[in-house]
Amino acid sequence: MMKKSLHRFLLLLCFFAGIWGNAIAQNVTVSGRVTSAERPEGIAGVSVIVEGTTNGATTDDQGRFKISNVARNAKLVFSSVGFKSQTIAVGNRTTIDISMETEASSLDQVVVIGYGTTKKKDLTGAVSSVKATQLENEHPASVQDILRANVPGLNVGFATSAKGDASLQVRGKNTLNAGSSPLIVMDGIIYYGALADINPNDIETVDVLKDASSAAVYGAKAASGVIQITTKKGKSGKPVINVNSSVGVATMSVNEQVYNPDDFLNVWRRYGKYSTNINAQPYRFDDPRTLPSGVSVEEWLTYDNSSPTADPVTVWLTRLNVQPVEIANYKKGQSINWYDMMFRNGIRQDYNVSLSGKKEGINYYWSLGYMNNQGPIKGDEFNVARSRLNVDAKVTNFLSVGMNTQFSIRDESSIPVDWTLITANSPWGSFYTDDSTKLRYIPNDEASGGRNPFGVPTYTNRLKKYYELNTSLYAKVSLPFGIKYQANFTPRFEWYNYFNGESSQWQDWAGIGGRGTRENRNIYQWQIDNLLTWGKDFGKDHHIDVTMLANAEKFHVWRNKVVATGFQPSDILSYHNLGAATQVVACNSCAYSDEGDAVQLGDEESTADALMARLFYSYKSRYMLTLTVRRDGYSAFGQSNPRATFPSAAFGWVFSDESFMQNSWLNYGKLRVSYGLNGNRDIGRYVALADLQTGKYLHIVNGAVTQVSQLYVNNMQNKLLKWETTTAFNLGLDFSVFNNRLDGSIDVYKSKTNDLLVKRSLPDVTGFDLVWDNLGQVDNKGIEIALNSKNIQHPNFTWNTSVNFSLNRNKIVHLYGAMEDVIDTNGNVIGQREKNDKGNKWFIGQPLDVIWDQRVLGIWQSKEKADAGKYGVYPGDFKIKDVNNDGKYTDDDREFLGYTEPRFRWTLRNEFTFFKNFTFSFLMYSYWGQSTAFNQAKNRSNAFPDRVNSYVFPFWTEENPINDYARLFSSDGSATYSVYKKRSFIRLDNVALAYSLPPSLLNRVHVQDLKFYFTIKNAGVYAPDWNFWDPEWASGGSPGPTPRIYTLGINLTL
Amino acid sequence: MKINNKVIVPATALLILTLMGSCKKAFLEPKPLSFYTPEATFNTVDGLKSSLIACERNLRYEWFGDGAPIITQNIFSEVAVEGTTDKSGPAQDLNLLITPTANLNSTDWNRIGWYWTEGYKGIKYANTAITYIDLPQWKTEEEKNVVLGAAYFHRAYRYYMLTNEFGDIPAIMKELTTPKVDFYSVKREVILQKMKEDLEFAEQWVPVKAAGGEVTKGAVSHLLTKVNLALGKFDDAIASATRVIDDGVHALMTARFGIDAGNATKNVIWDLHRPLNKAAAANTEALMLVIDRDGYMNVGDFDGGGSTMRQAVPFWFSNINTPTGNKGTTDALKKNQSQMDFDQATDYGRGIGRCRGTWYSTHMIWTDPNDLRHAPGNWMRMEDLVYNNYTLKDPQINDPYYGKKLQKYNSNGGILCTDTIRSWFDWPHYKVYIPDIQNATPSGGHTDWYVFRLAETYLLRAEAYYWKDQNDLAAADINKVRERAGAQPITAGDVNIGTILDERARELYYEEPRKVELTRIAYIFAMTGKAAYNGKTYTLANFSKDNFFYDRIMEKTEFYNKGVTTNHGDKYTISPYHVLWPVPQLTINNNVSGVINQNEGYDGFQNNVPPLTEIPAE
Repeated sequence: MMKKSLHRFLLLLCFFAGIWGNAIAQNVTVSGRVTSAERPEGIAGVSVIVEGTTNGATTDDQGRFKISNVARNAKLVFSSVGFKSQTIAVGNRTTIDISMETEASSLDQVVVIGYGTTKKKDLTGAVSSVKATQLENEHPASVQDILRANVPGLNVGFATSAKGDASLQVRGKNTLNAGSSPLIVMDGIIYYGALADINPNDIETVDVLKDASSAAVYGAKAASGVIQITTKKGKSGKPVINVNSSVGVATMSVNEQVYNPDDFLNVWRRYGKYSTNINAQPYRFDDPRTLPSGVSVEEWLTYDNSSPTADPVTVWLTRLNVQPVEIANYKKGQSINWYDMMFRNGIRQDYNVSLSGKKEGINYYWSLGYMNNQGPIKGDEFNVARSRLNVDAKVTNFLSVGMNTQFSIRDESSIPVDWTLITANSPWGSFYTDDSTKLRYIPNDEASGGRNPFGVPTYTNRLKKYYELNTSLYAKVSLPFGIKYQANFTPRFEWYNYFNGESSQWQDWAGIGGRGTRENRNIYQWQIDNLLTWGKDFGKDHHIDVTMLANAEKFHVWRNKVVATGFQPSDILSYHNLGAATQVVACNSCAYSDEGDAVQLGDEESTADALMARLFYSYKSRYMLTLTVRRDGYSAFGQSNPRATFPSAAFGWVFSDESFMQNSWLNYGKLRVSYGLNGNRDIGRYVALADLQTGKYLHIVNGAVTQVSQLYVNNMQNKLLKWETTTAFNLGLDFSVFNNRLDGSIDVYKSKTNDLLVKRSLPDVTGFDLVWDNLGQVDNKGIEIALNSKNIQHPNFTWNTSVNFSLNRNKIVHLYGAMEDVIDTNGNVIGQREKNDKGNKWFIGQPLDVIWDQRVLGIWQSKEKADAGKYGVYPGDFKIKDVNNDGKYTDDDREFLGYTEPRFRWTLRNEFTFFKNFTFSFLMYSYWGQSTAFNQAKNRSNAFPDRVNSYVFPFWTEENPINDYARLFSSDGSATYSVYKKRSFIRLDNVALAYSLPPSLLNRVHVQDLKFYFTIKNAGVYAPDWNFWDPEWASGGSPGPTPRIYTLGINLTL
Repeated sequence: MKINNKVIVPATALLILTLMGSCKKAFLEPKPLSFYTPEATFNTVDGLKSSLIACERNLRYEWFGDGAPIITQNIFSEVAVEGTTDKSGPAQDLNLLITPTANLNSTDWNRIGWYWTEGYKGIKYANTAITYIDLPQWKTEEEKNVVLGAAYFHRAYRYYMLTNEFGDIPAIMKELTTPKVDFYSVKREVILQKMKEDLEFAEQWVPVKAAGGEVTKGAVSHLLTKVNLALGKFDDAIASATRVIDDGVHALMTARFGIDAGNATKNVIWDLHRPLNKAAAANTEALMLVIDRDGYMNVGDFDGGGSTMRQAVPFWFSNINTPTGNKGTTDALKKNQSQMDFDQATDYGRGIGRCRGTWYSTHMIWTDPNDLRHAPGNWMRMEDLVYNNYTLKDPQINDPYYGKKLQKYNSNGGILCTDTIRSWFDWPHYKVYIPDIQNATPSGGHTDWYVFRLAETYLLRAEAYYWKDQNDLAAADINKVRERAGAQPITAGDVNIGTILDERARELYYEEPRKVELTRIAYIFAMTGKAAYNGKTYTLANFSKDNFFYDRIMEKTEFYNKGVTTNHGDKYTISPYHVLWPVPQLTINNNVSGVINQNEGYDGFQNNVPPLTEIPAE
């Protein structure tokens, strides 16, 4: 109490000092003592500096200091590693005693471990934590942004769209066909909603559980790791309002040029025509105005028997397969810059306000946010309104109830222009029809010349919205003997509307009289958790925590889709009146708008349940043991194997507490060992069942068309399908050295995944391509290193660095068990080995991401024409290695050529604070060693090279005999291969500068905190080998435009 | 208190666990809501019949869509070649491109893999009906056997195709419900013999008349004729063909009928191929049809329609200059471009010349000037098109040839078409012209299509007579078809296998699976040792090295036999071993515990084991 009053008094002093500081100018000697709650005896070595000067002192063994010649209006800065710096105005005092607060040493950080929390120092598993609030200056726009490059072993994909969705993967891929996205847990409850519905401003911390033991509490769903998100709670008594708003611009970070109007004719088409007309006369496709003196225009015209009176330019353009409208535009000098039309600077806006507080047993946090992002591709827009309400009320001393609710409205109605048409459209086409009333369907009038990229967005009317409500309601009861009981009920609702009107004004839909689509999807899902926890100390040294869980969940989805065509009298009502259509089709098994191309089966239902128990025991906080067992059930495996059990154990040893390890440089050291099983159930709800595919066909009965229904077995059943299990061993070391200046952790792991859920290829003579089955074994091993260092800790300048490194290797150990003979060079059987699955490109002993392909040796050069001919190709085509020299290209000529996943990844973050008010940080990350198909090198990426445009790439000609790009429109001959290129890169991902107004200034206007920040996201990338768009792109996507985002923001706390 | 402690904790735990009692196994039973499962479906008559619909629907694909599989049948014969000349990949250089590991199922390249995969899919659908045939409560034995017979027809159709495409292949006669990866190839003749027995059963039960799209007795007998021929059982073939010809229901159409019957400028050949006439009650020639109609988008139609005009019409709107030197033709449509006076894309189709008729099929066989199948209005020559590029009217260009007929050469004999492979050939307009109201570019719309019609039955019987050296009877059957088309009859002395193949090409272009029929005939030559008109005899032992299939193609086409090279530099080649297609390597690879044989001439042949001589029991 005493201390608190003093503190207030001091604050008051500061305030007055701020106002009247200038009036008082009289130097004194100040002395005092520095203590902390943990060290009332005084802290030695604390630096005390008069702000803005070099005048200062260091505390002695009892924490005492003395500084002379201190101005009355001066401020003293107290700092020491391991403690929060404090700045105290001197005012009228000559004695200043202060109590320092321990800086949340990362070891005391509370870490969420699933159905509970613990301090980092009590952890036995491999858990990485990210404090989201510390990243505010960098303006993370999504959950993924918070995690990107901040957790070793967690790979965050790249997002290019305005929505900014990116994939997540923990510790590499351990599954062949099942999903490998980590489980998301929010405020202790498994979260099945969309990441885009979580406002990053609401996040307090994110903890990533990586090893089997820590994830084991989530058993069957945990094999791909667990990401736990903790949202903000009210903290102080007074209601706090926080406003965080920003505006930004998304620009093109990389440009990939297409041929400009002149080069389109003189380079692309000209050389393209020579390579597709092998017997063309010299200069046949050259501009007749630039013919060499030896070739007359008259002679040139005779090449294709053109009339001597014909216009040579028209003849030339016709020879280049340039269409009449293009010729007309060429003569008028009218070209289109499609590139500039399709790309733009997108505006980004983000507004968030929150209200939070804590009073008389009620703790509340309420936020509202609205984000509206435009991507650099015209028409790419995303907006979302999100609100979160967290309330926790302590009703009595044994009962508290609460709710965490999140509601969002996500609008994904925008239709970006199809930028890939950038290579399809001629720069000499026309944008509008001749009478300038409508968009020209095909700008050069040639059916394969590329559609007008603005047509679909212009003539489509779309509403695509998600309304999501995620709630968890809970009650916590304190029972006798320290037992706590918690019940959670967690319903989730998703309402999805997709309404699409495709106008008959546009030729794509003219023939069918316009098309209206209405799709609805409702999801209702619930979970119930019953949780019992009990913790007790036995004597001074023994501590036990017990956690027990009983959980059940059920998922429902109901889907509707109606497609209407042939509107009468017109389709001007778009999708609003499907009754006006002459044909309306209700669709059961069909592809839905946001679920990919896969056919979905109307309504679905699944159920799951779980029992879990965890025991934590620690002795002297030095030896710790966690034992967990979880038994899971899931209906997708419900026919024969509905349940499976996942046990795990972990042991931690704080060796730095041992007497024999006491030394000056080691502050903390812990060894962790864990071993356990996790499951993967991430497959379709019904893949184990045989389903009959329906579809309509027609009969003619007595002259009348009659619809009939077909049925066939689409999916081969597998009643025995069961869980995929991963057994993992993790060895970890946590340490803190040199006065806590450097801390970090090193984890090595080895895991073995058995009974992989695979789509096993069947010989297609069965009539089935595949069956879902449990087969094989994949091993993963890897190392993860995280280091944090406080390089400089000066009151006016701090510099912190953190480095992460991770490396993962996987290997297929076992597949189907089919054996084949091993034959030596003499044809003798010398043993047996397991057969590979060449169809899926899975090989025993090789990683999942290995590239097995024919090897490119270079380009056949002119002097090798005869050799090239033996393989049916020409100089300028790729030369492929014929491994067995049999003159043919077969599977025997395929080799292992590299890997598609990075061989290692690292991230580097540096943070600087200048004069306490400025913070500057930058983050870099790198993926190294991965290769990707780069078939652009074949120079025939487009289907109709003589009718479209192209990206500008080098190409082989006799005069330009390069060895890495083929001639235009090259031939593969009988080889089937890809050209591979390394995609290693280092990215400067985030540069952020923030300025906080000094509290002295803010106090006058009763503002707690005011900060301005400026960030550049994706500031630059270095890729030594890759030169086609950005070296990184959305997972499952392809190279394309990527945004660089400049953001200016303000963060105000009242 | 101490006791309480010990009681309450476990008691509470027990309570929670009891609450979990609701988590019985029933809670976890999968509940399919929106799809049918086999157990709950194939126990009814309607359910089982639905698997026949799957067979019928699967059959339709052969003639439909972009790069329709039938084109691959044509380019592995003497009637057509792949005409896409602006890239490598389309099946032109067959020696280079037709390998077990190549892309064998691509609209742009070839559809060999389609015949393989979809053939076995069709077998699976038929096997479903056959396997579960005793599950439903049938009212009569006949009701059951009608369904079983139709299923036998569909299975036999696929095996007939597959054995004449790939030779010895795995034979699967039951629906598979567990993974099987130990298949072996079965001798072609063994499979065909089984099909013969099945079809002879089916013939007794399948009705003479059925809905358009369903199997008829005539179709069963027609297919049985083909199988009989393939087995060298010529008397049986004559008998089975005669059962169709004399069934009192079917007859060649010789009089005008159907939707254009009142149009005096047309004729019966035109009528026979109108979309709505094929299934018309008045049409007595159709034996088996696949059905596709406008107005059933996604509820029974073939997505996008037949695409016949896109596939089989030349790329006439490109590469053709007027004698003045201007681009002469355009595919612009009147509805989009008011300047268009001659909307030839709508009238004839926006062809891409993928299925490019050879000189043989476009000229050599058309010796009779009165043949309606080659008459103006039915048959299109390039010179029947006009220079329709509306920009020729532009005052600055003012090309006098606008609206005039196309010409291949200028007055000096200089050629005016820069790609005569793709852009300059004649085509059977009466067959491939299907008005297209759905697609943005006229590609050929929705239409019924003939699987079997009586004209072919006559030609099959003629062939059986030919094998038996009864050339007078063969000539009589051929003349039935010729006379209907207004062509002069031939004499017994004219008859040889070439005469029959010529007549098939005239009558059945883009209908018959030409490669399958040529391979079947090549097999018969090798089996019988009968001398062909070229003076050669063939043996089975040497089948993939020396066969009639290859000799016929090399004799007739203007491409494979002349070393023709496309503008892009791809050479037309073919080899004797192409008489059988390669089994896709993926199938062989996925069959990890057995051996599916590869055909001679392709990589992997060296791993073969002797084919089974009996169909394995499942």
